[in-house]
Amino acid sequence: MAILALRDIVKKYRMGDSIVTALDNLSITVEEGEFVAVVGTSGCGKTTLLNIAAGLERPTKGEVLFRNVTLNKLKEKDLVLFRQRVMGFVFQGYNLLPALTALENVALPLVFAGIARKERLSRAMQMLELVGLADRSRHKPMEMSGGQQQRVSVARALVSRPKIVFADEPTGNLDTRTSVEIVAYLRDAVKNNRQTLVFVTHDSNIAGIADRIIYLSDGKLVNE
Amino acid sequence: MKLYDLLVMANRNLWRRKGRTMLTILGLSIGTVSVIVLFSLGIGLAEWQRVSMEQWGSLNIITVNQAFFYPGMPEEEMESLRLLNEQAVSEIEAMPGVLGVAPAFTVGGEARKGRDMGYLHVVGIEPGKMELMEFEVQAGRLLLNEDRYNVVAGSHVINNFIQHGVSGPAVGIGSPSEKDPPELLDRRLVLTLQNAQGQKRGYILNVVGILGTQFAEHAHAVYAPLSLLREMHSFMNRGAQQTQVQLVDSVNMQRDQAGMQRIQRRERTELQYSFVSVRTKNVGYAKQLGEELRLMGYQAHSIADQLEGIEQGTRIVQAVLGGIGAISLLVATIGIINTMVMSIYERTREIAVIKVLGASFSDIRRLFLTEAALIGLLGGMLGLVCSFLLSLLINIYAGAAIGAGAMGPGTSPVQISVIPLWLTVFALAFSTTIGIIAGLYPATRAMRLDPVTAMRHY
Repeated sequence: MAILALRDIVKKYRMGDSIVTALDNLSITVEEGEFVAVVGTSGCGKTTLLNIAAGLERPTKGEVLFRNVTLNKLKEKDLVLFRQRVMGFVFQGYNLLPALTALENVALPLVFAGIARKERLSRAMQMLELVGLADRSRHKPMEMSGGQQQRVSVARALVSRPKIVFADEPTGNLDTRTSVEIVAYLRDAVKNNRQTLVFVTHDSNIAGIADRIIYLSDGKLVNE
Repeated sequence: MKLYDLLVMANRNLWRRKGRTMLTILGLSIGTVSVIVLFSLGIGLAEWQRVSMEQWGSLNIITVNQAFFYPGMPEEEMESLRLLNEQAVSEIEAMPGVLGVAPAFTVGGEARKGRDMGYLHVVGIEPGKMELMEFEVQAGRLLLNEDRYNVVAGSHVINNFIQHGVSGPAVGIGSPSEKDPPELLDRRLVLTLQNAQGQKRGYILNVVGILGTQFAEHAHAVYAPLSLLREMHSFMNRGAQQTQVQLVDSVNMQRDQAGMQRIQRRERTELQYSFVSVRTKNVGYAKQLGEELRLMGYQAHSIADQLEGIEQGTRIVQAVLGGIGAISLLVATIGIINTMVMSIYERTREIAVIKVLGASFSDIRRLFLTEAALIGLLGGMLGLVCSFLLSLLINIYAGAAIGAGAMGPGTSPVQISVIPLWLTVFALAFSTTIGIIAGLYPATRAMRLDPVTAMRHY
């Protein structure tokens, strides 16, 4: 069974007086343990696709299935559990909390999951080691470079040992070398734990590292 | 989300904007100071009432005198001038709320204790009524019905006697007794009375008891059996001429003069008491009966009247404080709401992020409510500290204005602002609650934030 299946997804927005179709009848399947890259130019709907797949947005029509659970029909409290335990998210703009240290930032998802402090911090430290930033654990985001912050962000996404990780243009603001590094980290982490990774980018070079590439244009799939 | 984490997170978030948080706390503290001091005055006043009751005189006792004759008094009033005779005493005793009455005579005269001379103010009272009128002895005993020439002296009477041949500064009223009061016990006092006719008569009085120092009112008189005083009183009144009274500012000299003569004639023919002590059930009755007695044509006063004035003054201050408190709390609450809303606006992205990370609606709500509650708590704490300072200042000022020991010898200075422990706890709980109430609207707004829209626009 596929870990993630999007069936006939349609997403429409109201923009002023007109209605915009962001996604037009999309169907995608992702297998467990796969590294899938979604590539497209800006405005093609890839972020929307990711949000819907991650359960952050509800589609206008269609279904999102995580294993056999229909995400878009879940109640909020179940969605919260999904976000805490099953899913990890890497944002484009890092989005670390500026008041917290790197370690605390990584541990944050576990705070909401109600995990005790000691365990939280030890797991967070493990993750930081994974991304090579153990020595920066006490630094605040302000004291780190873009690349370092993004690595912390990756560590944060992985700390809850999610089954599936979504990444929204994680390398968007970084230079090429750092971008490659980040993606490498992600891929290694994910492969070692049989985790699934859905990765959105506009950079087709980076996308080359993935197992499979999906091309998107104007809300529709484009055949390779 | 664990409570500890919630508190730590909320606290951290508050202090990201030190200045703004501190200003908000300051605003709230002003309101809480008003409220705390308001209550403290109420408590202090109640405490002061209790203490004054113990130290000065009972709030339950009304002293009734015959009403004043004053120049220009209308005819009807002159006629209805009530005399304090036996009939009046029974009338008063029958009034509702009265536990008992003790009529009294007073005389005054020179007395000798051994070789020391002094002035004595003697009050006659029925021995059986002494307990009712809340007399208590520190040495010896109260009067008994069979006593004839035995007396009970107030605690400061001993100071009236100056050593023969010695002159010096008199012992002031309001300071503790120079000599030991029980010294007077079992002593003999020789009282000399002189009446208007120039006749003198001597009485030998045995001191069988010394009154305790609680009631300053009783400290300076000697209390003798009523029967003895009746005798002394009639001796004093014998052949009393009409007292020449200087009538100043009188419109109708003749009429007023005639009126005065009429009254004095009545005084001589009928038996009249110098004053009557009325023991009432409680302070409320004391105030009410005082009013009624005044309307009936007597003079009536009790310590309760004095307190009324102070109570009224304090009530005005309390009302003002209440007004200030209510308004400033309202403004402070608005301040908290504003601070929180601004904070949420600035942290919109952050809120969206933590929602994606798995924070539930209630987590978000609780987080912001906790931040608001913390502001409340801190405001309350600051307010409490300022209240203690203000309370101290008020007590110092009040002490200076009313005067330490003004209530009589052996009294402690006035403390009209008292902050007991329970008020401290209440104040903190109250201010925290204000914080929570203020935080409700902002927290709900934060909770309803849609992460996707938030990320897109902010």
